[in-house]
Amino acid sequence: MKILDEKEPALLKRAVRGDEQAFLVLYRKHQATLYRYALRMTGSPWAAEEVVQEVFLLLIREPQKFQPDRGELGAFLFGVTRNRVMKHLERRPREDSLDEINANGNAWKEPQDPLTPMMIAEKSERIEQVRDAVLELPAEFREAVVLCELEEMSYEEAARACGCPVGTIRSRLHRGRALLLAKLELLRDAPRRASAGAK
Amino acid sequence: MKKVIKMISCEQFELLGLDMDRPDARPQEVAAAAEHAASCAQCFALLESWRELKQDLRLLHEDSRFESAPARLEMRLKQELRTRREARVPRSAVTVVTWGLAAAAVLVAGLGWNHWRGASLNKGTNRAVTASNNSQSATTGPDRAMLLAADSDSGAFTRLPASMPSAYENQEILQVRMQRGALGRFGLPVAQDRAAEWVQVDFLIGEDGVPQAVRLHDDSQLESTLQ
Repeated sequence: MKILDEKEPALLKRAVRGDEQAFLVLYRKHQATLYRYALRMTGSPWAAEEVVQEVFLLLIREPQKFQPDRGELGAFLFGVTRNRVMKHLERRPREDSLDEINANGNAWKEPQDPLTPMMIAEKSERIEQVRDAVLELPAEFREAVVLCELEEMSYEEAARACGCPVGTIRSRLHRGRALLLAKLELLRDAPRRASAGAK
Repeated sequence: MKKVIKMISCEQFELLGLDMDRPDARPQEVAAAAEHAASCAQCFALLESWRELKQDLRLLHEDSRFESAPARLEMRLKQELRTRREARVPRSAVTVVTWGLAAAAVLVAGLGWNHWRGASLNKGTNRAVTASNNSQSATTGPDRAMLLAADSDSGAFTRLPASMPSAYENQEILQVRMQRGALGRFGLPVAQDRAAEWVQVDFLIGEDGVPQAVRLHDDSQLESTLQ
């Protein structure tokens, strides 16, 4: 049987015994999702890297904490990542500025698409504004936006990931969207609702 | 038949309307929200703003969808895995060595036990021989040693000066408690400062009733005691 066909608990057992290939299969399968979530929640590539490192170190050092009868490995890893991210946010709400993020160079890469320099600059600015607005949301609302809008999870998936009811996720997303709209309208100086209401 | 669309309020639209474009949105809610947006300029503007924001969010999503942890993290974790694997090897070696030592100890104990049992059997045989014959002289080298062993005496007899090796068959051990100084009468040197000490002494008495050899019963060697 190929290593990729093996189930995750079996791979984890092998990894804990020192099988590097088994560990890499698990790591490569889950790291990007966890890293993106951590990055979008913290806004700091450094913090996201640290969080993902802690998560996988925990898996190596205390593999017994994952119990296959309680759920999938991915869900377990996401839960651990989420806890670490929340701790990070509690510890230092948001120390990394966007300049720092850009200076790191390994995040938020410029997309390669056939646009004019003007269009590229405009697009880049819009992305930065949205990213900034998302990062300024309170953590609970930010998480709902990240999972449901950026990671494109369904409400049920997001609720499972956060360990809360679907209604809570919908409510947080609603609040998050409203805050985002308000922030971006302020930023772009385009109070459309007001103007539309005046029509 | 005309489909009946439930009318919703602006508050409800704020809750449901922004989900219109989601793939998991319920068709009835989408229809109701669309109906409301068509008739309410404020909610229509809200929907437009949201769609614009949604487009920006999609840009952000596209921009970072291939983000992943840097390669150095994978290297670090691999290193951690190797370190833990290497750390496990000495532990297993220690286990092997421990078990090896334990096995060796058991083996040595077993051999010692066998040796001791063999010696005991020999003693028994010797005792039997001595008890039946009781004829060997205590002063004739190996035979003497055998006799002493048969009598369960751990110390060795020292021949008294001027005594003659006995060829007699019957010899006896006489146990006496006496002052150390009295040993001088048998021609043994005695340290004057310890002459008054009481000691337990065994005399090997020949058939003629004359002491032929002597030994002290305490742990000390006769030679050192006598000095």
